[in-house]
Formats: sequence, structure tokens, C-alpha cells
Amino acid sequence: MRRLLLTRLLSVVPMLFFVSLFTFLLVRLTATDPVAQILGQSASNEDRAEYAHRLGLDRPLADQFLGWVGSALQGDLGNSLYTNLPVAESISDRFGVTLSLALAGMLFALVVGIPVGIAGALRHGSRWDRLLTIVVSTGLAVPSIWLALLLSLVFAVTLRWFQVIGYTPFAESPLLWAWGLVLPAIALGIHTAAVIARQTRSAMIEVLHARYIQALRARGLPQRRIVLLYATKNALVPVLSVIAIQMSVLVGVSFVIERIFAIPGLGTLLIDSVVRADFPVLQGTVVVVAFVVLVVNLLTDIAYGVINPKVRPQ
Amino acid sequence: MSAGTIADERSDAAVVEPESDVRSHTRLWQRLARRPLSLTCIAYLVLLFVLAIGAPLVAPYDPFHPDIKLRLQGPSAVHWLGTDDLGRDTLSRLIFGARTALLASFQSVSFGAVVGITTGLVVGYLGGWFDRIAMRVADVMQSIPAVLLALALIGVLGKGLGNAMLAVGVIFSVSFMRITRAVVLAEKEQLYVDAARVLGLRTLSIMLRQILPNISPPLIVQASIALGTALLIEAMLSFLGVGIDSTQVSWGAMLETARQFQSQQPLLPIFPGLAITLSVLAFNLLGDSLRDATLPTGATAESSISRRTVAPFAVSPTSVHRPEAPADALLAVSGLTVAAPRPGGGSAELLSDVSFHVMRGETLGLVGESGCGKSMTALAVMGLLPPAVSIAAGSIRLAGTELAGLDDDAMRQVRGRRVGMVFQEPMAALSPVHTVGRQISDAVRAHTGLGRRQALARAAELLALVGVPDPHRRLQDYPHQFSGGMAQRVVIAGALACEPELLIADEPTTALDVTIQAQVLDLLMDLRQRLSMSVLLITHDLGVVADACDRLAVMYGGEVVETGNVEATFSHPRHPYTAALLAAMPRGEGVGSRLATIPGRVPPAWAWPQGCRFHPRCAHAVAACRQEPNILRHGVRCRRADELTLTDAR
Amino acid sequence: MSDVPLLAVENLSVSYPLKRGLFGGALTLAAVRDVSFTIERGRTFGLVGESGSGKSSIGRAILGLTPSSGGRVVFDGTDVSAFGERLPLSFRREVQVIFQDPLSSLNPRQTVGTTIGQAIHRHHDVSHQQCQREIATVLDSVGLAAYQAERYPYELSGGQRQRVAIARALAVRPRLIICDEPVSALDVSTQSQVINLLIDLQHAFGLSYLFIAHNLDVVRHISHSIGVLYLGRLVEAGPADTVYSAPAHPYTQMLLASTLVADPRAQAVRSQARRRQPRSEPPSPLSPPPGCPFNTRCAWAADVCRTQMPTFEAAASQDRHAACHRIDAVASSPRLGGEKVARSAG
Repeated sequence: MRRLLLTRLLSVVPMLFFVSLFTFLLVRLTATDPVAQILGQSASNEDRAEYAHRLGLDRPLADQFLGWVGSALQGDLGNSLYTNLPVAESISDRFGVTLSLALAGMLFALVVGIPVGIAGALRHGSRWDRLLTIVVSTGLAVPSIWLALLLSLVFAVTLRWFQVIGYTPFAESPLLWAWGLVLPAIALGIHTAAVIARQTRSAMIEVLHARYIQALRARGLPQRRIVLLYATKNALVPVLSVIAIQMSVLVGVSFVIERIFAIPGLGTLLIDSVVRADFPVLQGTVVVVAFVVLVVNLLTDIAYGVINPKVRPQ
Repeated sequence: MSAGTIADERSDAAVVEPESDVRSHTRLWQRLARRPLSLTCIAYLVLLFVLAIGAPLVAPYDPFHPDIKLRLQGPSAVHWLGTDDLGRDTLSRLIFGARTALLASFQSVSFGAVVGITTGLVVGYLGGWFDRIAMRVADVMQSIPAVLLALALIGVLGKGLGNAMLAVGVIFSVSFMRITRAVVLAEKEQLYVDAARVLGLRTLSIMLRQILPNISPPLIVQASIALGTALLIEAMLSFLGVGIDSTQVSWGAMLETARQFQSQQPLLPIFPGLAITLSVLAFNLLGDSLRDATLPTGATAESSISRRTVAPFAVSPTSVHRPEAPADALLAVSGLTVAAPRPGGGSAELLSDVSFHVMRGETLGLVGESGCGKSMTALAVMGLLPPAVSIAAGSIRLAGTELAGLDDDAMRQVRGRRVGMVFQEPMAALSPVHTVGRQISDAVRAHTGLGRRQALARAAELLALVGVPDPHRRLQDYPHQFSGGMAQRVVIAGALACEPELLIADEPTTALDVTIQAQVLDLLMDLRQRLSMSVLLITHDLGVVADACDRLAVMYGGEVVETGNVEATFSHPRHPYTAALLAAMPRGEGVGSRLATIPGRVPPAWAWPQGCRFHPRCAHAVAACRQEPNILRHGVRCRRADELTLTDAR
Repeated sequence: MSDVPLLAVENLSVSYPLKRGLFGGALTLAAVRDVSFTIERGRTFGLVGESGSGKSSIGRAILGLTPSSGGRVVFDGTDVSAFGERLPLSFRREVQVIFQDPLSSLNPRQTVGTTIGQAIHRHHDVSHQQCQREIATVLDSVGLAAYQAERYPYELSGGQRQRVAIARALAVRPRLIICDEPVSALDVSTQSQVINLLIDLQHAFGLSYLFIAHNLDVVRHISHSIGVLYLGRLVEAGPADTVYSAPAHPYTQMLLASTLVADPRAQAVRSQARRRQPRSEPPSPLSPPPGCPFNTRCAWAADVCRTQMPTFEAAASQDRHAACHRIDAVASSPRLGGEKVARSAG
């Protein structure tokens, strides 16, 4: 187990390096010229050269990249081309907000998705199962932005149960913080809940048809014990890998949801940087998010190892 | 060698074997058309296409024409779905939005599919360095969330729908590549690919003509679902304002407008949201239907057996002559008939009038080829018949207790406690994610009041009993840490948890190696003696019967055709099927001598022949055999049993 | 030229790289180690062994489906092992294969006719009509009717599918067919049909077979010579009669004693012999014991067996070989011969 952990932990390092390189090359090789973007078309050649020199853009690419990696390792992700604020600081201010939204969305998705999937599988083929399947299919098709709009329209604008927009930091009031995350988390999590429900249902159906379930019945175990203790654990194995992929989806979609609920997360920062071609911010955000996704994948792998003894090294 | 059972080799397979199933090779389209849901989806998508293509002709208004006087209107006769903040007609904008949605989806998915499937096929089939590089790139791309990657690509390439969908296409190409690679890797293991290589077919031809057609179903399904996803991402990007420009209409952008003005006109978000949801739903459901429709024939059997069960259970058998089992028999099965609904309606008898008994301390071999109903008989005794299958008549008595018709709770007191069961593939019969100690001790606890620790101690005893070395330590091991033979011992230990009176062993040694098979048979026979159990040993292998059984019952076509003492039956078989089966076994004659064969094969349950079920394959069949069924009389189900001399079968 | 055996396998070794650990070196599974045998024209060589014995790997290495890690494969005097997996088309025409699982070995999306037709087209320049005639002929020779060329594999029974697989191999008119467990997946009655067909085809076309199986009785029925594999090594080889009726190697004896026979009296003799065998699990092919690979399960094992690998030498007669240090001790003790069983059965 420890060896698995170590191997997986070490594999994050080269992945991060490649992600950084990938984003760096993408940004530098195909980008529109940031200097022209900032200084405008009227700037003189000397001004441009001077500005490019100040940003270090006239150095060889490899130099620039290694320089970036070097300072990134010390926690310095450069400064925004527009606001000149340190990127690392801007990101760390907003990072927790996005992460808590994504985790809340995942929590909602798990709490709803797994029981729905199990319920459908246990009554496979019944009217109840067909109804759940329709609900799940709809959940897969509803755009989360629309859902966010409808939820805020009904529960915030009309019923006034929630604030329409805004975000309360955890430090200020944990209760308001949690309350404020409810609507965004539901809007964000529905799609993932549907994906998990679907995967759980099909995994569970397959497991219930497995020979070892028949063997357990042949040994006289009560049906409830078979389902709760044996079938569920086996069915969770394939569901876990879906959870890992969905975590990445959730982080991505939360950027959009943040905008609807005016939550000050990474989303706004990122979209602004895209619109303005603010490359240090773009690059920093991509690498940090990739890091989070890799860590989540790592945690899922560990959970996978706990559930599934076969992947543990002997 | 047998006198009459050898038919001419060259012709029997072609002539005597009944054509398997009716030609069930229907076109995909026909199968889809039979499902109302898929038809609805297809109809909706066709309508959407027509609207998108004919938008300028169909739309009631110019989607860009503002009318400030009529801004933020609700639905009316003039504007059926109302107007937006600039007074533009919502319906017209929805119709033009369909253009953007479909165009964007198809652009990105076709890009992703072409690039992804090509790379996936190449790296999956060729492997090596290509594969490692491609997978590394895929890992990197997939650690960046799709929306973020799309945003980053747009940031780099510049805004606009074309760039946005190219970005989405790049993301899709990664997922298409992964899926294609995975299915190619699985398909590559199929022996037909090896056979093609042995034939010397070219690599390109193997990839395109052998593998690609076989992996296309999951890819088509994937494409259909990707179309829906692309539509969602397009809406999201346009919502963020990085997708379409001002000359286009997008449902996502309409939602952004709705966000700003929904407090003034709450109906504004409804219609574009519905349009997106329905379209994505249609693509997804079509994908699901395609998946179901392209499942290989046979795999759909589960869905084709309906949930309804057949005729209600009736203990009172009506058939004429029933051999009485001895009163002191441990297990007496009599007149057992098991039926299942047929795919086309009506019901088929999987077992008909099955009668046999097992005495205390005895091993009865239940023999037959695959498809003759041996395992179904075992499941009926255990009360573990599949949901749609049920006992239509007959009785199953265990030491006087009638088991047929008992409800599941009552059967649970029998299963594991009085009757244990061992299965063919030991690995499949053990949960892979639970320790064997857990699995055996749970069986113990299901029938005793023992605590966890005591149950584990009992589990260790059981493992020692079945000859697993170092039992205490091995309690903590998982099934995959056991060899096949040891795993079968674990399964046997689980079945013996409460020292049952009867052990049903369904092909317990078939999946094992020859030397291990012998050890497991010896173990079973040893345990039978030590625990004074009876064993019902189900096997297709007459060698197993010869080795381990006292008596045997031969099954053919869902019926018991002969029962008797093993020695007597092997030296003087009375049913032509038994004789033919014995004659067909190779037994070390010199090289090149011909074996006796039985022409044809066992027919499926819905095609049992009229009259004697064996008559189409029987060398001794006469006219009467074709018309009237036989009954089991004096241990043999053959009207000519008394006149035939089958002893000299070899 | 006729002195040269059709196929000579010389000191063949096959190993598979297993997953490479991050820190550890490459782990390799030595599936086949230093195996040699020959197949004469028109004859059958039977390879017997349990799972993990490497019997299928030998077949796959001869066919170029798996690279060999040592030794040579010489077909009709030509060393073909140098080509690796890219065997010349001329060799492909000479050596064909029949696999165990006929459903998996046929392309599910191709009709029987397409499957056989593409084999013919690849190797013979024929017109469409000629090809159709050829398909009908080859189907007839395996006992299928011409109209069955229109069928898809899932429309056929197991036995019919295996006939199609045989037809595909025959279609290019090979001289050697590797039969990898061709009857293991079939029912008893179908199994005997396919064995008879293989015997008939051998007589009709002068074919040679490498017949790979786990059942000694089946192998004995069709083979002229038999080789017995244990953990990747050939432990005994010789004429089928000799090996079967007077097995020299303790493992062959164990295998024979464990093979069940459908005759209660004969089986009683075998099971008595079997119960005298020591009970033990085979070692993992990943970590075979030092010395003779069979020493952990052998009743005669002595110290030398645990340290030194025995050489493969003539045992009791010139043409039968066995790899056992204690061959004389084994020979002098009472043993079980298959012929005795067969006789008592008759």
C-alpha cells in the first residue's frame, strides 16, 4: 500500500511538469503578441522592444520556461500583464472558493447519485427503474447554466430563501458560507449525480448477476446483507474511476456557475485572462487547476487501492 | 467401435444439425425502428435539422430585427414565444440557434472522431512508443478540465465559434482516442486477429477490415453522446461570451441575455433551456438505443426474457407414471418441470418431468452435455432459479420436507444450512474485494449465533478441513491471492460452513488443471465420508462420474433419460444416448482410430423435437419414436430399451 | 530433402516481459525454456501440459505471433525464426492454425464465405468465380454445405464454427497446422466429430499437425509422438505408444494417473495410482524452483533434483527421451502405464 502511494505521488511531479510545458508552448507558440495587445498598435518599436525585454519575452523559449518553472517552485507565478498583481496571490485568494464549490457539488452528486443508482439496479426492469432512468437521462441533458438560472429565479428571486448573488467567506460565517453554496452546488452537481447514478446502476446490475452473488445466496446469507455489504462494495470499484473524471469536470463547470451566482472564484479571473490574453494569469491558473485535478486523481487511486485489493502491489 | 451410432462424418454436421436460430440478422435500422423511444428521438432530431437548414424560410421574423416597443414580451399571438430585451422574436432566434448548435456539434465531433479514432486505432494496434507518447499527451490534456482547456485554447487562438469548437474537437479527440485504443486493445486479443496474422493479411487490412467494423458500435454510441456534450459546451462557451459573434444566434447566448433580464421577464430562460435539454436528451437517448441495438446477438437475451413468470406453481403432478423414490432417500426430485417464458411469447420447458433421488452418504452423478438442463436442476433444488424461470410442476423433497414452492425466507434456512453448493469457476464464485475469511465467516454467521471472532475461528477450521495450508494467515487473503485449486477449496469450505446434509457440486473440477482436478475430487470424496454427507455431482465428464460417483442420472434435452448404478450403466448402458456418449470418449486407442460420434447437437430448449427428444440423433429410432414421448420406466426413458443390445458400445 | 523433418524446433525459449516496476528491473516470465522437437511429414506431434506449461506459447512462437527469446524454428530446412514476427508470406501459406475457441477465432462481422475467401485471395491469384468454387470445395471437405458460406459465426453451433476454422486453415493448402486445444471447448459428441475430421484430413492431404492439448487421452488418440511439458520445459518426449503405456518421467506418470477415464474399473486402477502421488500445488511459473522444476511435487526427488537441472536424455529406448535425474529409480518401481488401463477397459 505504501509503495503504491509513493509511486502515485511521484508520478504527479512529471505530470505537472508536462502540463506546465504544454500550457507554456500553447501560449507562447500560437499566441497573439501580448505586447501589441497591451501597448496598442500605436506604440513605437522601441517601446515594444523595451516592454518585451522587461517582461523577459526576448529571451529564448527554453530560458523563459525554465525561469518560469524556477520561480513557480518558489511560489512565484509571475505578475498579471494588466493589473500587475502577483498571479500566485490572485489565485490563492480565489482558489479556496472554487474548490469548496466543486467539493460541495461532488458531495451533492454522491449523496444523490449512488442511492439512485442502487435503487434502480435493485428493481431492474420495473416501472420504478424506468422512471428513475428517465430522470437520470434528463439530469444528463440539462445544462447546468440553465439549472442555475432557474434555481436562482425560483429560490432566490421569488421565494427569497437564498441570497441572489454573492459569497460569504468561511471565516466570516461558516453557516452562511454553507447556505450560500447550496444552490450553486445543486446546479453544478446534478449532471455529475446523473453520471454517477448511471454508472452505479449498470455496475450494480452486473454485480448482482455475478456468480459470487449467487454463491452468497447459496450459502444462505440474507438478501439485505448481500446487497449492502457485498454488492455495493463491488459496484463501487468502477464508480470510483468515474468520480475521478467527474471531479475534473466539476472544477471546469464551476467556473461558469461562479459567474451566474457572482461567486469570486477562479472562474472570473480565468475568463478575464482569456478575453484579455493575460498569459501569466492563464498559465498560472491552468497549472494550479491541473495540480488540483492530479491530487484528486491521486486520492481516488488511493481509495481504489483500499476498495480493490487486486491493484495493491504484492 | 459402435455399431450404429457412427453416421457419415462428412455430412452429419451439414445435414442433421438443425439450423441454429432463425436468421436473426436484422438490420440495425430495423431494430431501432422497433423502439418507440428511439423513433421519437430520431423524429425530433430530423425536425431540428429541417428547422436549422430551412431557418430563413421557417422563422416568422428576422432573428436580428429589434423592436424596442415590444421588448421583453411574454408569449402572444404575434410573438408565440415572446421577445427579448431588444424586442427580437424568441421563436425565430431559437430556430436560428438550432443552426449554430448543430453546426458546432457536428464540426467538433467529426473533428474529434476522425483524429481520435485514427490515432486510437494506430496506437492501440501497433503499441510501443507511439502508444506511450499518445497516452502521455492524453494524460496531460485530461488533467486539465475540458472547459478550462477550451477557454485556454480560445485565449490562444482568439475568440469565435470556429475556434471554440475546434478547441472542443481537440478535447473530444482525446476521449475518442482513449476509447478507441481501449476497444482495440481488447479486440486485438481476439483470436480472429491472430488468425488473420497467420493468414498473412496486411497490417492496414487487419486494422481497417477486421478490427474497425467490430469496434464501431461503441464508437457510434460515443459519437452520439459526444454530440450532446458538444451542444452543452457550445451553450456554455457562448454563455460566457467567448463563442459566437454578433452575426450568429446561440441558445447559450440567449441564456446569458435571460440571466440579465430574468427578473423582468421570468419566461426568458425557459425556451432556450428547453431547446438545449431536449436536443441533448435526444442525442443521449439515441446513443443508448444504439448501444442496446448493436449488442451482439445473444447478449440481449436478458432483456428479451420478460419479467413475467409462467404458469403458477402446482405441486400436484398430472403425468402418468412416476417412479417412486425410496422412502429414506435424502433428496427426492420427482416430476420436476421448469418453464421459462419464450422471447416470442408462450413458454418453453427447460426441464420436463425430471425425477431422481440421492440416498444418504451417496454420490449421484448428474451427467449430460451443455444445454441439457443439469445446472437448471441444481438451481431448482437450491431455490435459486433466475427471476423469469419457475417450477411449473413436480416436487423436490429433502428428507421429507417439500422444497418446491417454499418462499425465499424459508429456502434461506435450507440453503447453506442443509444444502451447500460448489460452483464451476471458483474465482467467479468469490467476491474479489472481500477477504476469504470474511466470506466464509459470513456464511457461518448467517446460520449460527456466533460472534465475528468465533465465526472467524470456525472459518479457519473449515479452511484446515479442506486442506488449505496455514489457514489462520490465509483468512486475511483475497481470492486473487489463491491458485485455482486452492480457490475451489475455499468455495468448498464456504459451502460446508454448517455441515450440510447434501452438497451440490456443479462442474466443480471443469475449470481446473488435470492434476488439481484429481486432488479436488479426492477432497470431495474424503469430505463426504468424514461429514457423512450426500453429494450431487453435476458434470459433463464421464471420467469424473467413473471416478467419484456411486450412481448416475443421464440428462438429455431437459429430461432424465437413464439412471442407475455407475458400474452397471457403464458396462451395460440401456439408453442409446448413454451408449453413444460412452463410445465417443477417447480412451487411448492407437493413433488414427476413429471415434464413435453422435451426429448433430443438443437442440435449444424452445426447439425440443416431438416424440423422443433424442430421436433425430439416435441410430435406433423407429417411427414411434418420432411421435410419442417416452416416460422414464425402470430407470430408462426409451421405448426400445428392452429390445436393444447396447453393451458392445465400444 | 525428405530426411529433413518438416518442422524442427531447436532450443526454443519464449519469455514475456511483465510490468516494469518504478524502482525494480524488468520482470520476465520464462514461459518456454530450451524446448526441442521435430515434426515429420504427415505426422502428428502432440504437446501435453497443464496451464502455465507454455504449450500455447510454443505454438504461437512457431506462428510468429509471439517473439521467441532464443533458439530456432526450422521449417522444411529453412530457419524462419530470424524473421521474427514478420514471417514471409510463403511460410504463412505453409503453416496454419486452429484455435481453441472457435467463436473468438472467427470475425463476428464476416460471413463464413468472406472469412475463407480472404484467405484464398491473399495467397492465390484467383477470379471471383474460382474463389467461390474453392470456398464450396473447402467447406465440403470439412463437412459443411456450400450454402453455409452465407452464414455468420453466431448462426452456427460450436462444432460447425470449429469446422469453419479448419476450413479457413485448409483454404491456403498448408502442410502444417498448429492445433491449439482445438476440441477443449466442445461437448463430448462434437469433440469426437472434430477429432475424426482432423484424422481424415491428415490422410486426405498428407497434413502434419502440432496438436496442443491438456488431455493426455485426447492427445494420445491423434498423435504419433508426444511431448510432455512442465513449467516451460519438455520433461519427456517420444513415440506416443511408449510415452503413454510406459511413462518414464514422474510428471508424465502423475498426469496419466490424474487423467480420468470413462470406465469405472479402469478408473479405479488410475485413481489408486493417483492417490499414491504426493499432494501439492504446482509452483508459480514466475518463480520456478531451482534444479528440476518438478522436484517440489515429485515422490522421487533427491538432493540433486533440488540443485541441478537434469539433462534431456534417452530413457529406456533410443527414441524416447526424458529429463530426470532419478530415471532408473523411477523405472524400477511399480508404475502405471496407460496401455494397461486401456486393456483392462476393453
